[in-house]
Amino acid sequence: MTTIAAPMASRPRRAPLSPPLVYGAAAIAFLLVLWFAATAIPGVVSNKVLPSPFDVVERFATLAADTFSGSTLFGHAAASLTRWLIGVTVAVGLGVPLGVLLAWLPPLRPAVTPVFELFRYIPPFAWVPIAVLWYGASTTTQAMIVFIAAFPACVINTQLGVAQVDSILLRAAKTLGAGAATTLSRVVLPVAAPAIFTGIRIAFSNGWMALVGAELVVGKQGLGFLISQGQINDSVSTILVGMITIGALGALIDVVLQRVQRLLLPWKSATTRPVA
Amino acid sequence: MTTTKAHGPTAKMDIRGVSKTFDTRAGAVHALDRCDLAIREGEFVVVVGPSGCGKSTLMMIAAGLEAPSTGQILVDGKPAGPAGPQRTVVFQRFALFPSETVAQNIAFGLRVAGVDRAERARRVTEQLEFMRLSQFRDAYPHELSGGMQQRVAIARALVVRPEILLMDEPFGALDAQTRTVLQEEVARLSREMNYTVMFITHSVEEAVYLGDRVVVMSSRPGRIKKEIAIPRDAGWRRLDIEEASSEPGFIELKREIWALIRTEIVRQ
Ligand SMILES: Nc1ncnc2c1ncn2[C@@H]1O[C@H](COP(=O)(O)OP(=O)(O)O)[C@@H](O)[C@H]1O
Ligand SMILES: [Mg+2]
Repeated sequence: MTTIAAPMASRPRRAPLSPPLVYGAAAIAFLLVLWFAATAIPGVVSNKVLPSPFDVVERFATLAADTFSGSTLFGHAAASLTRWLIGVTVAVGLGVPLGVLLAWLPPLRPAVTPVFELFRYIPPFAWVPIAVLWYGASTTTQAMIVFIAAFPACVINTQLGVAQVDSILLRAAKTLGAGAATTLSRVVLPVAAPAIFTGIRIAFSNGWMALVGAELVVGKQGLGFLISQGQINDSVSTILVGMITIGALGALIDVVLQRVQRLLLPWKSATTRPVA
Repeated sequence: MTTTKAHGPTAKMDIRGVSKTFDTRAGAVHALDRCDLAIREGEFVVVVGPSGCGKSTLMMIAAGLEAPSTGQILVDGKPAGPAGPQRTVVFQRFALFPSETVAQNIAFGLRVAGVDRAERARRVTEQLEFMRLSQFRDAYPHELSGGMQQRVAIARALVVRPEILLMDEPFGALDAQTRTVLQEEVARLSREMNYTVMFITHSVEEAVYLGDRVVVMSSRPGRIKKEIAIPRDAGWRRLDIEEASSEPGFIELKREIWALIRTEIVRQ
């Protein structure tokens, strides 16, 4: 018999730092050094334009401890994360089932797709004015913008994932006596899961970016609000702290999601690349 | 007790007057033309024919996965109805559920049928042993070679105790060595368990080695062109395929069947 990969006996132990990690860390360190050099060598950039990394770290410590524009840095971050979580939860909760329905019941497609495509090309920010009129400068408004930014990726990727399930698997399930519900839960959804996760991943990042944008223009709390206040107060270091926090939280969300995916789909070690 | 007549009340599965036309954008494709084929209980029928002649279509109709344009499928004399575990299928492309382990794949049909946990475990274990898969019970399909995957697919189809096992070029996607091993495995299985099998292949050697009867189909639209009984007393399935295929009778039958297929391919 041909060789087969031995089934995994135990959980793989944590590997020593892999080359990509080392390269990544080196690149970030290099950028920091460059940044520092630019600010330290007199005459390159003024501190007014770009403060040094140490100024930013100091500002970070201050913002973490003291209230600025209504909350500490953590308060602003918590406000953003809450709105984001509400928005993406609704987007995933409605978008994934809709994607499954669209793929599973083809007659629905001609009815839903045109409406969906029309709404998809209205940018999330175009919803800000109407959202403000409806809900004021509230969490609901921000969550709605997140939802609008996150929803399409959930629907489209789920629909694609379900539609791409090899029909031979459906036939196999049928000959083994499975009805529609069993086939959906035990064959279709698991097989489509990587695509669904890809959709969720894009939805998470789209939602996060749209939220920060919305916070720049509406509201009195949040990381977007924080950087807009930095601008008003002429504090570049505040803006940089806000921007770095936004980037770091976004990346953290993605890492957590990938971990969850690996836990939930042990049979599929490779993750599909998201198409943003 | 030997029945030489295929048609009649003894047929386990009776394919009667089955025609199939596909409506495609390029026009109607006439795939099958009034096919009649009766398979007796415990009989191993192998269908051969030029590629594209409608073998898979005929099997999908027999499985209830595709509706015939005319004609019908009877099992034990009654209309067969929709696809189900009465007629399980082994596909060329394995068709294992990728998110389930070997044991879960095999248990699939039993779980759907509501077989209780203990009985399920017992039958899955028994089937794993029978197909020599015990050590892979917790592996996922992508961790297995093609040959192992097809063993799992066979186990999954057998564990529900189908009335008829349908196999559509099950070894077509395997390398030559693996194929030989599995051919001998299926020979053993049919010897020991006496399953009723409809088996499609493009290998004449495989057909003569495994079959009780070889059915040759014409080129499209597929018709049953000729049926050739393999002498029971030849006992080729008891030998390994290497030995069997060098027996004079085996070679003669192989040549005869090849000639029939060749004229069909040329006719196309
Ligand atoms: N779903 C389908 N739609 C249209 N044409 C089909 C379909 N399935 C099979 N055919 C056509 O029917 C003919 C027989 O196909 P098939 O049964 O797969 O042949 P075989 O298994 O003998 O190679 C082929 O010409 C094929 O293109
Ligand atoms: Mg075929």
